[in-house]
Amino acid sequence: MSNILIKAENISKFYRLGLLGSRTLKEDIKNWWQNKTMDENFMDPGFGSSKNFIWALKNINFEVSHGEVLGFLGRNGAGKSTLLKIISRITLPTKGRILGKGRTASLLEVGTGFHGELTGRENIFLNGHILGMKKKEIESKFDEIVDFSGVEQFLDTPVKRYSSGMYVRLAFAVAAHLDPEILIVDEVLAVGDAEFQRKCIGKMKEVSSQKGKTILFVSHNMQAVRNLCHRAIVLNKGEIVDMGNPEAVIANYLKSEKTQHLLHEFQDKNSAPGNEFIRIKKVELIPDYVNESEVIDIRTRLTIQFEFWYDVNEANADLIVGVHLLNFNGDYIFDVASPRTVYEPGLIRGTCEIPGHFLNDGAYYISIVFVKNISQRLFYYESCLSFDVEDYRDNAGWYGKWVGVVRPNFPVLLQPVEN
Amino acid sequence: MPTDKKSEWDWEIKHDQSWFNLNIREIFHYKDLLIRFVRRDIIASYQQTILGPIWVFLQPLLTALVYYLIFSRIANISTDGIKPAILFYLPGSIIWTYFSDCLTGTMNTFVTNAYIFNKVYFPRLIAPLSNVLFHTFRLSFQLIFFFLIYLFFLVVYRNVHPSLYILLLPLLILQTAIFALGAGLIISVLTAKYRDLDNIINFLMRLFMFVSPIVYPVSIIPEKYKFLFWMNPLTAIIETFRSAFFSNHPVYGKYLLLSGFNSIVLLLAGLVFFHKREIKVMDVV
Repeated sequence: MSNILIKAENISKFYRLGLLGSRTLKEDIKNWWQNKTMDENFMDPGFGSSKNFIWALKNINFEVSHGEVLGFLGRNGAGKSTLLKIISRITLPTKGRILGKGRTASLLEVGTGFHGELTGRENIFLNGHILGMKKKEIESKFDEIVDFSGVEQFLDTPVKRYSSGMYVRLAFAVAAHLDPEILIVDEVLAVGDAEFQRKCIGKMKEVSSQKGKTILFVSHNMQAVRNLCHRAIVLNKGEIVDMGNPEAVIANYLKSEKTQHLLHEFQDKNSAPGNEFIRIKKVELIPDYVNESEVIDIRTRLTIQFEFWYDVNEANADLIVGVHLLNFNGDYIFDVASPRTVYEPGLIRGTCEIPGHFLNDGAYYISIVFVKNISQRLFYYESCLSFDVEDYRDNAGWYGKWVGVVRPNFPVLLQPVEN
Repeated sequence: MPTDKKSEWDWEIKHDQSWFNLNIREIFHYKDLLIRFVRRDIIASYQQTILGPIWVFLQPLLTALVYYLIFSRIANISTDGIKPAILFYLPGSIIWTYFSDCLTGTMNTFVTNAYIFNKVYFPRLIAPLSNVLFHTFRLSFQLIFFFLIYLFFLVVYRNVHPSLYILLLPLLILQTAIFALGAGLIISVLTAKYRDLDNIINFLMRLFMFVSPIVYPVSIIPEKYKFLFWMNPLTAIIETFRSAFFSNHPVYGKYLLLSGFNSIVLLLAGLVFFHKREIKVMDVV
């Protein structure tokens, strides 16, 4: 008896475009299409594509063993959600097959089938049954679910009167008490606040480690994938491009996703990024390399320099330009801003310096925001620069990952006090 | 290894759905969901409406009243000797309402439930089944109301004549449900694929109402066309309903059997077709 719970063999999925009033399909494909049109020359001999049809998945093969947590990564439209939908039996593959053992439950959203007119109590049962739980199962877990949700007081109130937070908590509480052998989770963590997401991840960790459940998991949250998954698969344009240890897979994925962009320059004002108020002429990251290797490491001083045409012709309209630094989890490392000042229309240059010995190793990107009169956002130049910071250690005695978002070399001093 | 023994796996997902593996056991596994859906519809449809339940009672009575005025008083169409004439219209209008509600609900299965079908798997048949059960629940109120009126005439005026065939009523209802479900399942798959079919179906439904003996008895149909009318399962159902309660003519057993046969064939065809397409259809809804 093998330990394999799910086995996908040559899964391919074909979608016809532009036929009928297909709502959901359109959305699914729109993202894909945007990627597609950027790369017109892409033509796979086995899976031709045209304006009328696409292959959303091409020859996907993988196996999932018992108790494994498998993460799926990839851009929007890479086929992750389509794959989960096929495993969930919501849509069928065009070619290939999936064999499986045990009860599966999919959590492609929280609160599927919730009915606004029904009370919280009724909805717990309704949603539970939709997710595949039996009546006895829900009854035996009912108190736990209510406890977890924290909406006990409102159990007999129609959920249309719930706040959105309560609604999501109740919905997740039901989902968290599912007890299938295989759990399929898609981006559920993308909803709700940080607290809720922490709770979700905690619960998933508990389910996988203590109960030995098998989980298939799609997320854009690299940290969650890194933390939860035993193995990760990267999809790109419907194909598996990488599979293996999450740490390594994520690193490769990030590397392939981001190309190091240190300079953008635009000569023609009219086609430059921006709008009627702001046009970008140039953004540049100038590293002050420590040696000839030309590698940005934790010691490297970085200067961000940008020039833009400013075209707000209002008396007393002041301008603030903010520089955002983010890591690839999407966490803001900092947000620094220029002082409020009134400028005449014209070309303006800005600089911002990130000292060496400040950032930890990792991948970062920079966005620049232009704000008028404190509150009105003129333009957000998102992810305009991206770069990697490599690790560097002088007296290397230890090679593990140096933790922390920043890596300052504040001195830590020790002094003997008593012998 | 190409020689995976099928028995090693619990389930298989592939492009081609088998025609005949209807998976009754799986539907049984989801019976709690079925009941919960019915419950949801009942609660949701009567929440915050005072007239809600009353409307269910009033609907067949008002319809019968309108039919009585137009078809009996003005158009002077026979009521097969049933007196008072308004009672003639009640069985037809109750059965028709039930049939058309079940059919419409079933044929809209994919559109109404797209938001759930796109997120979770369960046997899709649960949705149309729950719809039919929900309408059966409503029907039961209308029948109670019908019995009250009937009893009134039976006791006070003594001008209606029941027969033992009244006991067939549950069978008639079952037959109507089977017919509506079977036709609805087939139409649901077709309308999901071709939206404009909706308009044609609505038109056909109106037409179908007039070729069913709702506002007239079969007895006024010319002999040479009668067989065509008996092919319509509703004809025997409504005629049997009337004759059971009013003894206006004998019960035509063989036509009732034919109606049952037609309904069951339609249901089987519907089940197979629906099962074959239930998941694929979601790519185009």
